[in-house]
Amino acid sequence: MQTLSLLVNRLLQLLPVLLGIAIVTFLLLKLTPGDPARLLVGDRASEETLAAVRQEYGLNRPWPVQLGTYFGKLAQGDLGESIRFRKPVSGLILQFLPPTIFLVLYVVSLTVPTTLLLAIAAARNHGGWADQAIRVFGVCGFTLPVFWVAIMLSRLFGVELGWFPVSGYGTGFLEHLHHLFLPALTTSIWLVPVMVQSLRAALLEKSEADFVTAARSKGLPERGVFWRHILPNALLPTLHLLGVMVAYLIGGTIIVEAVYAVPGLGRLMVSSILSRDYSVVQGLTLFFALATVLVTLLVDIATTLIDPRVRL
Amino acid sequence: MLRRVAFAGALALATLFAAPEQAPAQDAIRIASPYQTTTLDPMRSAAAGNIEVYGLLYARLINRDAQDQLQPALAESWEVSDDQRIYTFRLRDAKFSDGSPITAEDVAFSLNRVRTDERSAYPAPLGSVEDIAAKDEKTVVFTLKAPFAPFLSNLDVWNMGVVSKKDVDARGEDKAFTENPVTSGPYMVKEWRPNDRLILTANPNYWREGYPKTANAELLEVSEAKTRLGMVQTGEVDAIRDVPWSEVDPLKTQENVELKLEPSTVIYMVLLNSKREPFSNAKARQAAAHAIDNKAVTQAVTFGYAEPANTTLPGAIDFHDDQHPGISYDPAKAKQLLQESGMGDREVTILIGTSATAEQIAVLMQAQWNAIGLKSKIQKVDGSAWWDLVAKGEYDASPTWWYNETPDPDLAVRWALCGTCGSDSFYTFYTNPKVDELTEQGTAEQDPQKRAEIYKEIQRITTEEVSQIPLYYPPYANAYSKRVQGLRLTPSLQWTLEEATIGG
Repeated sequence: MQTLSLLVNRLLQLLPVLLGIAIVTFLLLKLTPGDPARLLVGDRASEETLAAVRQEYGLNRPWPVQLGTYFGKLAQGDLGESIRFRKPVSGLILQFLPPTIFLVLYVVSLTVPTTLLLAIAAARNHGGWADQAIRVFGVCGFTLPVFWVAIMLSRLFGVELGWFPVSGYGTGFLEHLHHLFLPALTTSIWLVPVMVQSLRAALLEKSEADFVTAARSKGLPERGVFWRHILPNALLPTLHLLGVMVAYLIGGTIIVEAVYAVPGLGRLMVSSILSRDYSVVQGLTLFFALATVLVTLLVDIATTLIDPRVRL
Repeated sequence: MLRRVAFAGALALATLFAAPEQAPAQDAIRIASPYQTTTLDPMRSAAAGNIEVYGLLYARLINRDAQDQLQPALAESWEVSDDQRIYTFRLRDAKFSDGSPITAEDVAFSLNRVRTDERSAYPAPLGSVEDIAAKDEKTVVFTLKAPFAPFLSNLDVWNMGVVSKKDVDARGEDKAFTENPVTSGPYMVKEWRPNDRLILTANPNYWREGYPKTANAELLEVSEAKTRLGMVQTGEVDAIRDVPWSEVDPLKTQENVELKLEPSTVIYMVLLNSKREPFSNAKARQAAAHAIDNKAVTQAVTFGYAEPANTTLPGAIDFHDDQHPGISYDPAKAKQLLQESGMGDREVTILIGTSATAEQIAVLMQAQWNAIGLKSKIQKVDGSAWWDLVAKGEYDASPTWWYNETPDPDLAVRWALCGTCGSDSFYTFYTNPKVDELTEQGTAEQDPQKRAEIYKEIQRITTEEVSQIPLYYPPYANAYSKRVQGLRLTPSLQWTLEEATIGG
């Protein structure tokens, strides 16, 4: 019961944050030059046509009025309509959400086992050749531009070898797995090194912690010390890092979504910004903020499960 | 607690993966284009992605065939009055996708929307029309303000498609054009996923019997050129638009893919702002033009696949003056002209959007202008900001392109060269009363030979006065899967999808 009220509390704290984000996004968009009406009607429209279109969508009203209208709708849970498509923003977000969530879960399920394997191998082999090799690969994976990696993988495994499709999302679970493999791999290639570095450092640090020395002095075998004392205690910082990364990925897989033509949220965001589809950009920003808070909350819950001393 | 979270998670996952998506039951022709579909209302947009779609959904009174001849479409026949002012069209017995008859009233309604609605994106093709009225169920009468030579040709422009008056009245514009619109063309919308793809299926009531030959089609939006290339090579799509010039050669050796360079009415050129110094000065404009070696620019940017431009009008347009020598590359003359203009000490801003081509051209321009002592800096903005600045005249020079939606030069001249036709000569603010007068003469005159002389004169004046710097005429570089026959993109940006077949 206490946990529940704490959860409600956390969600309530979210409201002012979302409000702030909504206002800042709105003002930033208003400050950006560009006119959605122009992109909508195309090159040859006259000034009169543009004025009529701005009038129709309320784009010519003073911005405080627009902001007021926006918040009025928002209070009723309405994210508004896309200026471009005349479709509800919430519907658009829902349409583009599944590929993104699938991709993020895919990335996590590729990243987590790999990270554990490599970090443990590196830490147990501290200074040895395995540690060095993992470090070198890590630096490569982290420094290669994502765009380049994506194109190379797509050329090699998609076009040359034909093992994986180079675009899209497919239909059904298995096709999703097939279509999103390269995007997930591309993302994991830079994500794994970051995670490995964090976990390896924590493992090394904990292996010299007082409680570990105490365990060893009691004569516990090294294996037991590692699995029961070092690893669980070293996991927490990496778990939090994973949380931050997942929250980032929900709106940040823009490059892989573009290169692999995945109909995900990142692609919707970029095209909405480029065409000044204000309501969609605002809706997505709010959604990303909400997702970030929820992911952080999930990580906090997981933390309490790993470390009973921590309370929400 | 844990169990509950796990359960909720599993439930969310299950709904996610079970989300129903219709599997494409039959084979479909898939086309990937970088241009977006934003509206299905033919009146509302002149943006490239929408233009490609309109012709697939809405039939027009007449169509241009592969031999460039106007053929009857929804109109079975037509008559022109002796004074060339009244055009009477007789409609064939055709139906909309919902089975209701296409009547003269629908035609009048559709074209009057384009002509008179203040939100109409491009009323210019019907600018000569005084009135459109349904005489009876199957007869529609166009009354022109004055004889207008390109009238029939303009009826083939992309926004001349016929929509259902009854449906628009019943559902309202917003619904009628976003949710399963009633169509008169070869296809109807099966599903529209904005920002991703438009899924089409054959309109069973299409007037042209036996068409479309392939029942299903998808238009995909893919912004990355490299991704489109990969998709056509792996067979994930059957056609792609805008193959980068650097990829044209490698693609020629591909087994399953055919690269086609298709004629276009596109012209790449440099806008010069005649509203402010230095380019309000004609000599400064001429200096800027003579400084640029447009043959070298064409070679560098398009690997020689485009034709260097010799006049201010697109090369594939009717009455283009092929004999005109063009603006010579002459740095010495350019230097002298710049000195005479007294503008040599100005630094100009070259404004570019996000296109890689524009950036390439801008860098080449900068170097060549530098050689004659014209200093410049490059300002890069995104597409939306570009339009903002250009339409307000807040730039000095900007490399860009435009195309003409029909082979007749009238709309092109009105858009890019005429100072009093609404677009300020494509926002260069160039104006010459003689050109404006010739623009009107060009359409009043019915004799093609005399029209040719008029448009020759327009090209001569505007090229000499450098209303814009013509650079090159590129073809459309599209790639097609060899399993598809009969698909091409017309110069007017329309896919011949209804004639395309799979297999063989």
